[in-house]
Amino acid sequence: MEQFFYYVKVSWVSIKRAPLPYALTVFILSLGLGVFFANATFYYQMNSDPLPHKSDKLFYPMTLMVPYECNDCLPPRIHSYSNVQKLSASDIPTAKVAMYSSDGYLRLSSSQAPTPVSIRITQPAFFSMFEVPLLHGSVWSDDKARQELILSKQTAEKIFGRSNVVGEKVLLDDRHYTVIGVLDNWQMLPRLYDANNRNHVNDADQVYMPLETGYDYNYMSNSQSHTFDDTDFRQLGTQGRTGALHQLQFWVQLDTQAQQQAYRQFMDNLVADEKKAGRHQSTPNNQLVAMRDIVRFFGGESADIKAFALVTLLFLGVCLFNASHLSLNRYLSNQYEFSLRRALGASRLQLQQQMLADVLLMTLFCTLCGLLIAWGGVELLNYLWPANRLFGRWDPTLLLLLLGLTLSSSYLVTLYPSLRASFGGLNQQLKE
Amino acid sequence: MIQLKNLSKVFRTELIETHALRQIELQVSEGEFVALTGPSGSGKSTLLNVLGTLEHFDEGDYLLDGQSVRGLSDRQLSALRNEKIGFIFQGFNLIKDYSLLDNIELPLRYRGISASERKRRALEALELVGLAARKDYHPSQLSGGQQQRVAIARAIAGQPRILLADEPTGNLDSLMARQVMELLEQINRQGCTILMVTHDPDQARRASRQVQIVDGQLSDAAMYDPLAVKLA
Repeated sequence: MEQFFYYVKVSWVSIKRAPLPYALTVFILSLGLGVFFANATFYYQMNSDPLPHKSDKLFYPMTLMVPYECNDCLPPRIHSYSNVQKLSASDIPTAKVAMYSSDGYLRLSSSQAPTPVSIRITQPAFFSMFEVPLLHGSVWSDDKARQELILSKQTAEKIFGRSNVVGEKVLLDDRHYTVIGVLDNWQMLPRLYDANNRNHVNDADQVYMPLETGYDYNYMSNSQSHTFDDTDFRQLGTQGRTGALHQLQFWVQLDTQAQQQAYRQFMDNLVADEKKAGRHQSTPNNQLVAMRDIVRFFGGESADIKAFALVTLLFLGVCLFNASHLSLNRYLSNQYEFSLRRALGASRLQLQQQMLADVLLMTLFCTLCGLLIAWGGVELLNYLWPANRLFGRWDPTLLLLLLGLTLSSSYLVTLYPSLRASFGGLNQQLKE
Repeated sequence: MIQLKNLSKVFRTELIETHALRQIELQVSEGEFVALTGPSGSGKSTLLNVLGTLEHFDEGDYLLDGQSVRGLSDRQLSALRNEKIGFIFQGFNLIKDYSLLDNIELPLRYRGISASERKRRALEALELVGLAARKDYHPSQLSGGQQQRVAIARAIAGQPRILLADEPTGNLDSLMARQVMELLEQINRQGCTILMVTHDPDQARRASRQVQIVDGQLSDAAMYDPLAVKLA
């Protein structure tokens, strides 16, 4: 350990000998790392798996059962109410849930100004399937329509000034509801259960309403809906339940390979039966997409972020090259000391250990400086692409990755120069 | 102790080959003080560097304590330099940012000697060269003669068996040069073998043996000098 501290001291003395070139090396490397890390933050968060232990067990089924002949078509991303009923009519999944999102206005009484809120219209299984934490109260006991809402914690605090509001009454679009539950802080990132139309980058919803209530009160989807027949959008409670009006997302939980195989078979049988019954003429094209693949399946990956990832990686390469060049100059100007140490008995291995102390110091400075630049970069990207702002955040894993990247970059920048310096001609250096 | 057998060294560039050392045959016994003399460019510094394993040789062999250094790994050569050989350079080669004590401790660090033992040995060496009171000084605060004494202290702190001195008084005035020579003689009397490159005939005469190199070759008398006189 004493030798390690000595190596650190030697590095520090060497830095003090020529602080400006060293600062320039650190700055150039930090710039490359900071710019890369700012973009990598978004790339990492957008491609992260919010439920890694479950994302290969939650599936989004899609069937091509449109009421007209359509070969080589992809199945619709969303379902009609009647198709969801058919896809739900199986005991194979461990759990299943239908949902969609809408908008509304929430307030305590008609004398107050209404607050616009986003509403997730869903079923009780949503909360267990996607592991939504509940702070107060409970979720609905069954799938039936009811005048009961669940609020996010922030919404409860905004409307009532506190979080424990179970049993309180609220007005949503001027209809009376009772609050039966309040969620704890929760934001699934990315919101993979809502991946169609790139909604996976949005905030969590503020209000949760039973699916049947949403249909009864004619809440239309605010993201994606279409109909393949003459269903009247304004008659959601009646025609919406029977016609080909598609607006529902549907998820099933299939824990085992056997369940997945069985549910695929179930979907195939369903589509074949529907075709036999004359309800569609399409060639079967069923899809059962795991949650972890859903963004890619829907083509929701951000091309901007991908392109920037490539550009910033190239920029990092250029910075590495330049920093390495500066580092080489620094090492060559110190070559005399390297040669002296070798003449006095230091082996090349010991000089490489000395170099590791250099790497550690450079990692320390570059991490601090790189984080500062990355923070500025994240703020800039948030300003330029506010839609992605939720992903501009760091977590311990990401910071650890940055540290690893900085360490390896510092090593790369130092490796060649230190090798050059330790392989220099001893005699010539000591004569000069 | 030192035996060079038919040793040759060639410096090559794309255009020319320079034969720096040609078929050198030399034996140096333990405790000798050998002065290497010769005109500039004759190969004496190259010979010293080969002896110090700072330069490789092309042909022949170099035996130190009966063991050939040819084929030793970098680690083995470093250990050999560290434990058996002390260097004194014309330009002192002290690290200006370190104190005298730190400079002297430098070779001892690579031997894995404990901090307290390093300090003891470094102080002892400084004491010997008469600079113990200035242990915390930096080289730039000393005169040239004092710096060379510090370099000598660094060379002897590891208690090497061989001291290689490349024109140790080349950068010093006559008074300081005399002090340095007296110091080297004192070290030699304590049993350390010294090989010193010098241009100065007076200093060469103070050695127990003179070896002359001309055009990379030893003069006949140098290979074995029956008149070599050990210093008293």
